[in-house]
Amino acid sequence: MEYIIKPLTIRMGKKEVNIFPLWIALLVVGILFGLVGAYEVFSKGLQVTGLSNQVPWGLWITIDLAAIALGGSAFTFGVIVYLLRIKRMEIVGKLAVLLGFLGYSTAGMVLLFDLGQPLRFWHPVVFWQTHSLLWEITMCVVLYLTVLAAELLPIVLEHPAFTKHPWLERFPFLRKASNGLNWLAHRLHSYGPALAVIGLTLSLLHQASLGATYSVLSGRGLWFNQSAPVQFVLSAMGGGTALLFFLSVVVFRIMRPGLIKDDVLYDVARIAGGIILLCIYIRIWDWAVTNYYSFDIEVALQTEMLNSISPYSTSFWVGQVLFALIPGTIMLLARRVRNFRILMAASVLPVFCTVLVRWNYNFSGLIASITYDPFTPTVVLNSYVPTWQEWSVASLVISYWLLGFSLAARYLPFVSQSHHEHK
Amino acid sequence: MSEKPENMEQADKSVSRRDFVKIAGAMAGAAALTQVVNLGKTRGRAQGEHGEGEGPRWGMLIDINKCIGCNYCTYACQAVNNLQDEMIYNTVTTETTRTGVEFFLSRPCMHCDDAPCVHVCPVNATYLRPDGIVTMDYDLCIGCRYCEIACPYDVRVFNWKKHTELSPRVPEYGVPEVPPRPRGVMEKCTFCQHRIDPGVERGLTPGVDPQATPACVIACPTIARIFGDLNDPESPISKALSTTTVTIRLREELSTAPKVYYIPPQEEPSDLTIEGG
Repeated sequence: MEYIIKPLTIRMGKKEVNIFPLWIALLVVGILFGLVGAYEVFSKGLQVTGLSNQVPWGLWITIDLAAIALGGSAFTFGVIVYLLRIKRMEIVGKLAVLLGFLGYSTAGMVLLFDLGQPLRFWHPVVFWQTHSLLWEITMCVVLYLTVLAAELLPIVLEHPAFTKHPWLERFPFLRKASNGLNWLAHRLHSYGPALAVIGLTLSLLHQASLGATYSVLSGRGLWFNQSAPVQFVLSAMGGGTALLFFLSVVVFRIMRPGLIKDDVLYDVARIAGGIILLCIYIRIWDWAVTNYYSFDIEVALQTEMLNSISPYSTSFWVGQVLFALIPGTIMLLARRVRNFRILMAASVLPVFCTVLVRWNYNFSGLIASITYDPFTPTVVLNSYVPTWQEWSVASLVISYWLLGFSLAARYLPFVSQSHHEHK
Repeated sequence: MSEKPENMEQADKSVSRRDFVKIAGAMAGAAALTQVVNLGKTRGRAQGEHGEGEGPRWGMLIDINKCIGCNYCTYACQAVNNLQDEMIYNTVTTETTRTGVEFFLSRPCMHCDDAPCVHVCPVNATYLRPDGIVTMDYDLCIGCRYCEIACPYDVRVFNWKKHTELSPRVPEYGVPEVPPRPRGVMEKCTFCQHRIDPGVERGLTPGVDPQATPACVIACPTIARIFGDLNDPESPISKALSTTTVTIRLREELSTAPKVYYIPPQEEPSDLTIEGG
């Protein structure tokens, strides 16, 4: 079965220009710029960042949390394809696995920069501290990245380059290697359901723990609340699936038309919409309760302060509530809307919202800290501005993500070729 | 669809299940192995949450009424720990009582019995010693700074830069007594464990003998700080605590059980607790 890949073109005057090489070149520039910042950070240490003892986590942690959250479609669709056995979602599921792998590898990369001692990144795997949420997250991410690699490998190995390349006939050892890889891919593919269960377990564990990372900080204010674990899981599923919808339309309607039906894409949008609305419903109750039970004087003071500063209160009401409520409703009604332009525009907002939720959780409790006066505590506002080195590293990891996605969208075989021959 | 592919699928699955068990076994084995390695590194670190009864349990009492805000405690701490100006384990700030009277609040690590930093550390780099000191293993720390975020007292400081020079507080306030720490690890007050441990070995009493007592306590010109064993009724701190009518601890409502006590300013009514608490 042959598949069509349309080049992405834009019209410039009378000429149709293929933008794919230009896009790749841009990403390579982004990576090169990132390498400059990466060198700065590794050679001079974290003093080149805008982080301080008052705001020790900043831009990178937000990217890390967002990359993991936006990879949340991988476990959601692992369940849909392998456990619920909804076959028509299989091809979208492959894209979800790719997004998961890219998200988690990006997160791992950016965390490496965020550690004061990057060469000790393996310590949590060996020196266990089972009470620590961060330990559990590290273990889950390491294991889940392995699971994602095992899920992605069979998809990559379906590319004709691994089975039909002319060199395979010329060099017998390559043929042997190809056969070995094929056997491995088959094996891994047959583990699909098991991998889906492991992936689901690991994902629920660490997505929830990422929220709990902030919940346990009893001395900190506002959005560090007890329902954060549920928030993180649901917003990862919702935001991740919204991103999956957006990119599915790019890949399966623009670049690779004819692979899947529009109805399947509408269903992806509906799944995303439903989860987004559920998430915001719980969030609003949680907001009400948090404002009610802030019995601790310092926490109440911080909450009050943050609520009175417009960027934080705006980012909550506009970014987290409105940007979830409206697009969530539109996406839930995808089968009635039946307009990909509107649906794509709508799906951008929940992705933005998912990132904003992470930014707010991470940042709002750190930016307003209290003095330690036992009698008349007051709240002080700290400041944090990312330096160019931080943006540079951000450019590195985001360019990596986009490059991985772009190359995969162009070259990855989403339809199984060997499948037909073997059966 | 014919039956055959389905059978094949079934056969496939039974193989996968057996292999899955094998893989799970191998993973459990690997997990057990890491625990053995782990024990090697952290053996002998019995968690001292229930320090009552046997052995010492170090604590500090700070009399806010005696503190004149001279910062000598901070400087002595920086000298013995060889810290640059921007690294402060022990902070002195000016605060006000509810009646508007200003006072100085000096704040070392609270050495909480239920320390949030110890709970969140992913690699066991910070831990509670059986004698109640919350300390650091600088060789284990990965520099993730989660403990800094979890600490409700803001007493942990990150080593952002590589330090090579001597502290500007040397030699006026003391000389470095601990080895230098690498860049990128979290640092903190250790109640000068490098003085307590050898002191106890030599038969000295921390809190009484200056060689075995934290530098900040020795440096204080007004004797506002009293250090000693909370388990020993004859120690200076136990005696002071038993004769003082009101002592407070910072942010006690968070249930961290700090071992640093304060005698509040006299201006405050004697029944005071934390406002609204």
